[in-house]
This record gives sequence, C-alpha cells and structure tokens, in this order.
Amino acid sequence: MNQADIPFLAVTELAGLIEREEITPVDVVEAYLKRIDDVNPRLNAFITVLKEQALEEAASATSEISNGGYLGPLHGIPIGIKDQIHTRGIRTTDASKLREHFVPDADATVVANLKKAGAIVLGKLNMTEFAMGDPITSAFGITHNPWEIGRNPGTSSTGSGAATAACLCATSLGEDTGGSVRGPAANCGLAGIRPSWGRVSRFGVDGASWSFDTIGPISRTVEDCAITLHAIAGYDSSDPYTWNVPVPDYRRALTGDVRGMRVGIVKELMDPEVCGVTNDVRDSVLAAAKTLEGLGAMVSEVSLPLTTIAGVVMRTLTSTERVSLNPDWLRDRPADFHHNTRVAFMTGSLIPSQTYYKAQKARALVRRQVLEAFKEFDVLLQPTNPSPPGIMDLTQGVKSKEQAANALKESNFRGLYSLTGNPALSVCCGFTDGEQPLPLALQIAGRPFDEATVLNVAYAYEQAANITGTHGHPPF
Amino acid sequence: MAELSNEDIKALGRAVNLDIQEPELTQVAYSLNAILEGMDQIDIPGLNSVEPLPIILPEGSASQ
Repeated sequence: MNQADIPFLAVTELAGLIEREEITPVDVVEAYLKRIDDVNPRLNAFITVLKEQALEEAASATSEISNGGYLGPLHGIPIGIKDQIHTRGIRTTDASKLREHFVPDADATVVANLKKAGAIVLGKLNMTEFAMGDPITSAFGITHNPWEIGRNPGTSSTGSGAATAACLCATSLGEDTGGSVRGPAANCGLAGIRPSWGRVSRFGVDGASWSFDTIGPISRTVEDCAITLHAIAGYDSSDPYTWNVPVPDYRRALTGDVRGMRVGIVKELMDPEVCGVTNDVRDSVLAAAKTLEGLGAMVSEVSLPLTTIAGVVMRTLTSTERVSLNPDWLRDRPADFHHNTRVAFMTGSLIPSQTYYKAQKARALVRRQVLEAFKEFDVLLQPTNPSPPGIMDLTQGVKSKEQAANALKESNFRGLYSLTGNPALSVCCGFTDGEQPLPLALQIAGRPFDEATVLNVAYAYEQAANITGTHGHPPF
Repeated sequence: MAELSNEDIKALGRAVNLDIQEPELTQVAYSLNAILEGMDQIDIPGLNSVEPLPIILPEGSASQ
C-alpha cells in the first residue's frame, strides 16, 4: 500500500491491515505525521504534535503485534485528543494563554483507557478557549473547516472535527458540553456521539460546565465512532458521576437492522418558523427519515414544545457553571482571556441565583418531556444544526442583544440533549448544492445509556445512504 | 422586564468584585439581557413546584 493512502482509511480498515501485519503501526504513524506536515499549516487543527513520542509508541506497538500481542481494533491507531483532556507530561492548554504552560502529571481516564486499548496519541487538538462556543477564541489561532477555509469547523472541539475530517488522525476525542462533539461532527461531515451523562469518565478533563460535560468520539464512520466509544466508556471510581451501568459491545450492536424501530421526528426543530432551520437542512433530515423508513423503521412526528426553551435554559446553566473552573482568573488576569471569552465569563458571573435556579427547574421539565417521548419512540431525529457551516465572523464582540438572543435560539438544537443527558449522535446526511459542497447533519438521540441503539440507527442510515462514500473527503 | 443598563451591569460587577469597563460593558449588557429576557419569558405551568435538576441521575435508562 502507498504510504500516502494510509491516512484516508477508516479505523476498521487500518485495524484489519495491522492485525494481518500487512502494515505496521510505524507505517501508519509515519503516514499521518507526513500528512500533518502537509495539511495542518492550512487548517491549524493541532496545538501540539507528538512526533517523537508517537513514533516510539508505534515502534512498541509494532513489536507487540509481531510477538502475538494484538490488543484489538485500536492497537496502533493514531488518535487526536482535544486539548482540554489531560495527557501525562504533555501540556494541556484549553487553547488559552492562561493554561499555555500547564503540564498534567497524569492522564485523564479516557486517555489511559485508549492507551490500554493500544491507541497512539498523535497530538493535542485545537479548540475554542475553555470550550466556549465561539470559533475564533483559541490563543493558538483559528482552526478552519477542511471543506472550505474560512468556514466554521464546529465548536468547541474545532481541531477534533477538522483533523479527523482532513485525515490528520484516524479518530479523535472531543468534549461535549452544549454540543461540542456533535457540532464539529456536523460541520465537518463526520460521526460524533455525545454519550449519556455519566457514561464516560470526566476525570482529568478540564471542566467547561460540570453538570453538562461529556467526552465523546468524533470519527469518519459510525463504526469507528462505536469502536472509540467502547474503549472509553464505563464506570470510573475517580469520577463520582460515572454510573455503574454495563457497557455493551457497541461494534457488535451495529447490525443495521432497524425493522420495527419507532423513530420520532421532533416537530419543533423541523419548523423554520419556530427554530429557524433552513430548507436544505430540513429536506436532508426528512430524506434521512425516509431512508430509515425504507429500511423498515416506523417514522412519525413527535411534538416536544419545551424544545424551544432548551437553548436559553442550557446557556443560563452553562454560562454560570463555566466561570467556576477558576473564577480568580477573571479578576487577576482578565487580559489573558480572548475578548469574547472574557465577555462570556463576565456575563456568566452576573447571572442571578434565582435565574440559575429557575433554569434548573425548567431543566427538570424538559427532561421529563423528553423521557416521556422515549416511552413511545426508540430514537428521536432532528437536525444537529439549523443551517450548514457558516463563514466565521473574525470581528470580536457581541454586536447586539438580538445577536445574543439568536445564539440562544440556535442552541435549542444541540442543547436539548445536553440538558437532558440523553446520548445524541450527529451523522452526515447530505451536502449543500454549489461549487464547494458543505456537509449537512442529522442528529439521532436515544434513551439514557442506550448508545447502542443510537449507533445502530446511525449505522443503518450511513450504510444505506452512503453519503460520505459519494462525496469522499474534503478537498485537501 | 426592564433591561439592565450599562450602569446596572457595572454595579452588578462590583457586587462580585469585577470591574467591567468598555468595550466589554455594552457587550455583557447585550448578553445578560438576552439571557434574562429569555428566562423571564419561560412560564410553564407548575414550574415553581418542580424540584430543580442539578445533576442527571440514570433514571429512564435503557437497562431499567
């Protein structure tokens, strides 16, 4: 195999070649490092590339495999890690000047789990400062969308989306507070799952908003996503809010059989008047529902009226919680924040306690409504975003109250399941027309801790529609 | 609901030991007023008697 072709393979394809010893982890890591050298300067997806360490780990993996010690589908696979997730001896910056010299002395549990599975950490991925929802705030420069330079790659795991889509790593980890795994997956044409809150350990992850944060994979295929999630999921005594719920074999759950499955399309999020969804997004989600119906699923509409308050409730809670990571920074080192982050943190510092409390009460009602819907449906469908990836606004600041209110409304789409703690996955469901097609995305949500069903529905759709197979990779 | 003025924002800032000046001041006012207005408009029957949800417990999971 030509070395230049290696980065374009899925994890499943790479794993087969590695297991059969047709290629070695050293071949794989060298191919990815070469591609990072070629492409990353235009995308700025990595903050830190671990060239020497990755090559050393690849040599060890090659030796282990040749001695009969193959560990499984992630053995020798290069993975990118969002720079909010601790890596022992490797700086972890949160994309902020405030953390530019922070070097953790232990791996986050998710990183330790990936290493146990044999994965090789290729580098630390760019993100928005402190995982804020604004694409221009990284102290290490803006990350671009590989489908079109200047477009938003999706926040806050900007580098995880861009690097995975541009084949600079085989799979990646992001962190999803209000949608930061699903957003980059959507904007970059990938599969990304926010697991149930409590499914994956957050130990060793710098918190964005503690009652919302989840770690999830962003991958080029649903099967790769399932493999990556399986490696990181499960109870961890170091995180008091992981639940001891059995972790199924997510890859085995990918049967592609959705016959008889009850699929609900969330009415409010499909209505341009209510939530501002664009026609191309709406049509692509309806076409995806039709595809699932053709596979034997029973599709119907479901109304979740409280969807329309999900964005403001979620932002009220997350804006308040995110300041608590280190409130003193805002007083002692305000100039070290990006302007937009500073404004957001100041805003979060001023939210009245009764407003925060009201949001927690509303959260309970939103969750109740969503759980009620899952008595009737196995999964719920809606767009991941209301529109295709937009052009990044490089000017600083909040321009008007209306702009701020619109951002809250846009948060209804991904904020809904961030509020309720349900697993939710984004998968590519089409592309815009035009000279440079841009990805569109479908969001599939399931019952708490039922990631297996969510992944299987996404897999069935992905296999039947072959959307990414038709469009290939971004133009890099 | 009356909008908070820039002076109100400054006073709130002082209450939490934050000195908020321009250019942040007006922008914090935009953001905070949008949030407060959005939250003020929420009027769900029975909201006051609901217990708040500070964390998500694994109720309603597929295994239950």
